[in-house]
Formats: sequence, C-alpha cells, structure tokens
Amino acid sequence: MNKELSREERADALSGMGCKRKRVEDARFTQGKGNYVDDIKLPGMLFGDFVRSPYAHARIKSINTDAAMALDGVVAVLTAADLAPLGLHWMPTLAGDKQMVLADGKVLFQGQEVAYVVAKDRYIAADAVELVEVEYEELDVIVDPFASLESDVVLREDLVAEDGSLPDGAHGPRKHHNHIFTWEVGDKETTEQVIGDAEVVAEDMFYYHRTHPCPLETCGCVASMDKVNGKLTLYGTFQAPHAIRTVVSLISGIEEHNIRVISPDIGGGFGNKVGAYPGYVCSVVASIVTGVPVKWVEDRMENLMTTAFARDYWMKGKIAATKEGKITGLWCHTTADHGGFDACADPTKFPAGFMNICTGSYDIPVAYLAVDGVYTNKAPGGVSYRCSFRVTEAVYFIERMIEVLAIELNMDPAELRRINFIKKEQFPYKSALGWEYDSGDYHTAWDKALEAVDYKGLRAEQAQRVEDFKAGKTRSLMGIGLTFFTEIVGAGPVKNCDILGLGMFDSCEIRIHPTGSAIARLGTISQGQGHATTFAQILATEIGLPADSITIEEGDTDTAPYGLGTYGSRSTPVAGAATAMAGRKIRAKAQMIAAYLLEVHDDDVEFDVDRFVVKGAPEKFKTMKEIAFAAYNQAIPGIEPGLEAVSYYDPPNMTYPFGAYVCVMDIDVDTGVTDIRRFYALDDCGTRINPMIIEGQIHGGLTEALAVALGQEIAYDDMGNVKTGTLMDFFLPTAWEVPNYETDHTVTPSPHHPIGAKGVGESPHVGGVPCFSNAVNDAFKAFGLRHTHMPHDHWRIWQTANKLGLHG
Amino acid sequence: MELSDEIRISAPKDVVYAALNDPEVLKQCIPGCEELIKHSDTELEAKVVLKVGPVKAKFSGDVELDTAGAPDQFSLVGQGNGGPAGHAKGGADVTLIEDGNETILRYEAKAEIGGKLAQLGSRLIQSTAKKLAAKFFTSFAEVMESQTVA
Repeated sequence: MNKELSREERADALSGMGCKRKRVEDARFTQGKGNYVDDIKLPGMLFGDFVRSPYAHARIKSINTDAAMALDGVVAVLTAADLAPLGLHWMPTLAGDKQMVLADGKVLFQGQEVAYVVAKDRYIAADAVELVEVEYEELDVIVDPFASLESDVVLREDLVAEDGSLPDGAHGPRKHHNHIFTWEVGDKETTEQVIGDAEVVAEDMFYYHRTHPCPLETCGCVASMDKVNGKLTLYGTFQAPHAIRTVVSLISGIEEHNIRVISPDIGGGFGNKVGAYPGYVCSVVASIVTGVPVKWVEDRMENLMTTAFARDYWMKGKIAATKEGKITGLWCHTTADHGGFDACADPTKFPAGFMNICTGSYDIPVAYLAVDGVYTNKAPGGVSYRCSFRVTEAVYFIERMIEVLAIELNMDPAELRRINFIKKEQFPYKSALGWEYDSGDYHTAWDKALEAVDYKGLRAEQAQRVEDFKAGKTRSLMGIGLTFFTEIVGAGPVKNCDILGLGMFDSCEIRIHPTGSAIARLGTISQGQGHATTFAQILATEIGLPADSITIEEGDTDTAPYGLGTYGSRSTPVAGAATAMAGRKIRAKAQMIAAYLLEVHDDDVEFDVDRFVVKGAPEKFKTMKEIAFAAYNQAIPGIEPGLEAVSYYDPPNMTYPFGAYVCVMDIDVDTGVTDIRRFYALDDCGTRINPMIIEGQIHGGLTEALAVALGQEIAYDDMGNVKTGTLMDFFLPTAWEVPNYETDHTVTPSPHHPIGAKGVGESPHVGGVPCFSNAVNDAFKAFGLRHTHMPHDHWRIWQTANKLGLHG
Repeated sequence: MELSDEIRISAPKDVVYAALNDPEVLKQCIPGCEELIKHSDTELEAKVVLKVGPVKAKFSGDVELDTAGAPDQFSLVGQGNGGPAGHAKGGADVTLIEDGNETILRYEAKAEIGGKLAQLGSRLIQSTAKKLAAKFFTSFAEVMESQTVA
C-alpha cells in the first residue's frame, strides 16, 4: 500500500499553476523535430515565387511572361489580369482598406508583388522570375508622410472619385488624397486650455522608427485543393488560423466547411504572421488552377521588405504640469506612416490600436490624442511587433515625454513618476482617454525596483562620472534608463473589439478520456510561447489531472474551437480564461458524478486538488481519475455519459500588466559604443502560471527591445529603396550584444480574469524599448541633450556626442 | 550618391576630347563594357556587366551627351536597367583644362541606384562606384599615353 500523499505532494504531482514545469515542446524543437510549414511536402507539390517591383512607385506598362513560360518546369505565371476575372487581383486588408494581390497597373512600394510564377521546384521558379519582363514607368516617390500630405502626387488613384472628390475611408473622412484617416480621442478643447494655462509645459517630437518583427521563420503556406471533394487545405504560418479560414472563405467564395486551415509549428510570429498576404491568395489560386498543392515560402529579403513592418509613428507631444511636477494634461498628435496600403492589424474601432493608453501609468486628469494615417511609397503593414496594438508606441511616447518634462522641471525623473502614479486605491481606474485599468500597485513595484538597483547610489556615481569626464579623466558617460509601463492586453471584449467583424473572444474545448487523461483544444496558436506547457498547467490545477496527462492542441480549424488567435498577449488573458472556465464546467459535472459515487448530495462534496472529498470526511473521496472512468462507464441516473466541456470566453475587460525597468549603460563618447552594465526588470503580470516561461519571455522580449532601441530599423532612401533588406544591414542581436538580465516581480492579480492572470509575452518589449532609449538620452542629459531619436546605433550616438561638442 | 575627382592625362585637350567621343576607346576603358554603339554624335547605347557585392547583372542603357561647351566641357546623362538586379540613372559634368601638353580632366558625377543592387549593396555602392570610376580613368590615361607614344 502506498503511503498516503500529503495535500502539497498531491498538488506538486499535478505540475499545476505556479510551478516551473519544463516546456513539453522543447523535446522536439531541440532535436530538430519540429514540423514547420517548409517541412510539409505533399505529393506533386509545386512551388510559387514572386516577381517583385524594383521600383517604389511606377506604372506598369506591360508584362511579358513568354520567356518565363518557355522555361522547362514552369507551370504557370499569374498576373493581375489572370486574377481579375475571379475578383482576386485585390483583397481586403485587416484595416478596412484593400490591397493589390498582384500589381494592377501600378506599384506602390519596392518589393510589391507583380507576378506569381509556379514551377516544379523552387529553383526553377526563381529562375523564371528573372525571365518575366516587366516594363515600368517611374513615378515620383514619396517616403516622408509629412511630404505626402502636401504632395500633388496621388498614390492611390483607386481612392479618388472620378470628379476628384475623396470618398470616406474605412475610418471616416479623408482630408487629402494621400490621407487615410484621422482618429481623435479625448477632450481637445480642455486639454489645450490646460496646456495654455500651465505653469510648465514640455514639448517634443518623438519618432518611433519603422522596424520589423523579423521572426526566424519567414511567412509561408502550402495550399492544397482537393478537386474531388472540393476541400481546400491551407497550411500556413498563421497567428490566427480561424480568422484566416473565415477571410479565405469570404474572399474566395469557398464555403467555410470546405476550408481547413492548419498552423503547424511556427518559428516566431511577433505580429508578422497576423496579416493575410498576397502569397496566400496566389498559392490558393494556383492550387485551384493546377489541381495540385502549391508551396510558397518567403526568403529573408521578401520578409523584411514586404510582409508587415511595425511602428513608423511620428509622435508630437505636449505635457503640462505644476511647478511641483504634478501632471495636469497631455496632448499628442501622431502622424502614422502606413505605406502604400492600410494593412494595419488593429481592432476595427481602433485605427491606431490602443495608442490611447498613452497616458501611461499616471493619473492625468485630461488628455487628447489625434492620429493621422498617411499613405507613402513603403510596404504596408503596421502590425504590433511583440506588443498589443500600438501599445509600444504609446509607452515609448509617455516614457520619453516624462523624461523631457523632468528636464523642464529640473526634477529627478524617478520622483516625477512617483508623484504622478495612479494610486493603488484608485483601481479600477478610468483613464482620461477612456480605458478602465483593472488593477495595479505601482508605488510598491517602483520602490522595489529603485531599491534593488540602489538608484540613489547610481545617480551619485553618474554625477561623479560627469565630473571625471569634464576633468578629462574618462571618455565614458553613464546613462540610467528608467521606465514604468502599463500595458493593455488581452483583446478583447466583443462589444468593442473585432477584426473585420470577427469578435475577439477565444475558446477552449476539453475532452477527458476514460482513464483520466485529457486533450484540450484552443482557438489560439503557439509560435514559441509554450502553450502546450502552460495551458496544461492551468487545467491541471482546475481539473485535478496531472499536466503531463493533458495534451494541448491548437492550430487545426477542423478540430479546434473557433478563436481569434495569438497576438497582443491575448492567449492567457482570453484563451487562458476560456481554459479555466471550461475546466470549471468539467469540474461541475465531476462533482455530480463524485456525489453519486460517494452517495451524498452534490453540495456535500468539495474539490480538493485532484479529487472530490466528502465535506468533513476527507478520507471519503473519489479521485478525478476515478470520476473520469465512471463518467464513461457507469450508468448514472440523470447524467449523460462522457466528460467534455467547451467554453467561449468574451472578456469583460482588457488586462493591464505593468512593470518597472532600470537600465544602466556606459557609453564610449568617441566610438558611440554602448555597454549595458545592468538591466533590472520587474514585471507584474498578475497570477504567474509558469515562472520559468515568464522569465524566458522576459529575456526574449528585452532582447527584441534592445534590438529596436539600439539599431534595428527598416530604412528607405529617397528613391524608396529598402536599405536594410538583409540581416547584414538589419540588426538582430546575438549573444554578443545581449547583457545579463535580472528579473523580479510583484503579483497584482486581475480581478476580472478567472485565474487573475494578465499576460506577459509582450511586456518586456513594451517596457524595454523606452528603458534602453531613456538610458542613452540620460547619458547625455548633463550636456544639454533633451531627446534624440532611435535607433541608437553607434554611429547615431557618435553623432549625438559630436553635436554636443564632446569630441573637443 | 555623388562622385568627383580630377585626373591628369598626358595628351593635349583636343585629343582627349576626341578619345572621349570614340566608342572604341570608351569600350576599352569602361569596366565590364561588352558593347557600345554610337547612334549619333550625342547618343550612345551600352551593355555593361556590373558586379556590386553579391549582385552581378548585365545592364543595358542609353547615354546622351551634351556637347555644347566642347571641347572645354561636356556633360552626359544616362540610365541603365539591369532587370531583376535593379536600375540606375545618373549624369556627369566633365571639364577639360589644358596644361601645356597635358590635360586635366575634372568630373562631377551623380547617380541614383535602385532595386536589388541598392538593397543588397547599399554599403558597397559608393566604394564600388569610386573604384569603377578610378578604373575607367586609369585605363583611359593608359590608352591616351599609348596613343600619344604611337
């Protein structure tokens, strides 16, 4: 007879919430046994490749495909003319605009898809691409959004009526032919009045440069049309497989039950794989036309140049305060460069995402935000690179604004933050721009962070360094980067969050097997987050079966319940909640079964870790394993056999994770080289499901933040050439650049989430970018610098030092 | 992208000017030039193989000369297309100054490069262009000297 386990031992045996369970995915990933899109090989499969425009803005005078078609092994070359009869030469974007699938008469950005070659192997396809002759007539190129709004050059003739008037766009009136929308939130009049009357006003322009999520695996798909049964199977790198199925159905007219979308293993998404791209449409068409499967996988340059950039926001801000530093108002006007088509991935009612979280962690009584979206000759996209919709932009804006205000007030920026934080007792807190923050304890987190790094000591050391520099004893300066961020994640309540009309709920379906193991399927899809590990932990705790006995499956729309996918840190807040709720449904039925088996009333049994016990008599119990078997195999009056549950969770509110970050950086004034001496990250993501996975997420997010802040960008020259189209020019940090991170946490559960979790995958990126940037700016503060734009690569830092006269 | 330089050639100005208008001489001196056809005194057509970083492509282009200031100065504008590899356009102002039996050739050139060439080779273009220009004039000076000697 086994020794009776204690309650704690039984809980440990489940590997439930809060434990550092090892990632179950890693066994296959670390052995090279993952199954990615490019690993899918179907009989007779053909390969697609794009002819892309070398010009950023040009009219297409002719396309000659004869030479390409004559090449042995080429099966088809599609152009807009071939897609037009099907109505597929244009497609709707997620932002309510439309985008050319293949160039219809003109091109609007370098790398735009012009023709799609289908061949027997990808080498032949690539050779044939070079044989397609396209005659272009160059047009004037616009790469600057401010110039675009002044220009006579019409980028989108399709959006100008014949009489020259401008029909409304998806988000209201347009004031210029290159203008997309104006989005306004808050009280403009009062805000401007407060700023006009303020004792102190700080004002500046912050450019958050264009960059790219650059996942290690690029975007791709395999489309396979079975002409016998009329069923289309589409494998792809989709962050939202169900939404892709619905969109494909709406665009193609194929009934939704005849479309099966499968997201296999995905090698990182970070927002890049949310959108619908021409490659998917062309592959589907090619498979329908040829009757065999067609694979399309981007190369690195195509990925960087054409699919889903991020940021490109010019944010002009004004912040008002009293002489004592109490903030009285915030004003922001953003000029958003969306490229040639508006393909931003934002909830429909939020054309600039949740940019209106830009009041940050501060109790700001009045605020106003306006965003103007603008067309330019750049690639479309505007996705949320490792952040909830435009939250990174918002947090960067307010955290730079605070630093500039601190300079204006001649006040310590840590203290300025402290006196303006929303207080613990103010939650739930209604912000001036309309959000209801669920919970927070900012002062506690801030104090903990500042104490951990000995903030006062750091400032003293920094002051000494400045003295030494002035005295010629050192050529190195020291920057202290501070950030306190509040995120808004977990989109979102269906009442105000939808994408293309699809409500942003999520789902979980659980099937318990008779022997007490289980499978749970979700509407989300892991791209490295470790869902198979963490969702099993949630369930282990909720239903009392070991996490190791629970399979988590996602990404196959024929089997998984409908959900809106994984991005914007929504998996835990939304699908995680659905998982807990579905688990509770299982438990409710299990309770009835247990009561029957124990011959007591339902109310007389209670859940205890892995079993139901008779209240007051814990020696009388039925384990969940026993209950599962009985559920299937024992005739119980009034209860149908089986043990399954499904939950669709429509969150009542977003969740608001927060954190306090400090970066200590040394900068070599003569070379511009930065050395991150210390990085401390305190995150509060509410209830913590797996601390090891959280730590991994934080390391990854901080590293992507370092990349963006210190060098990563998609840069264009005046002709619209992408200057950073390869990994030689586009900065991806390696172990060489990455410092040691110190992680820490507080726990302030979300009051409305079933398990109190808030989501964490994007926090370190959102908080990290301003923290690195603030450190660089702070290093030069003593020499008169107010603000310098990212990315802070060595060359730009050297230029900053040079302009400040620090090179003697 | 802008380039400028000057070079001393051991030949009188009118000889230099004539050589600069001689397709055979130019073909010898332009790096990678496979074909140069003179359509008129002011119109040329060229086929040139160019390599910038990882991109190697055959460019075909047209060049138009403005000889109004000849033989003291002339200018040219041109454009070339390398198909999938990219495209380029640009121009140059050339001044010839007589210095005894020799000629000082001064040029100021401007070029815009687009397409794959620009994407892959952005950090190599300036140095490649300088190298190509230097190569041209070195060859040109050599051809002039051999002609003068002959």
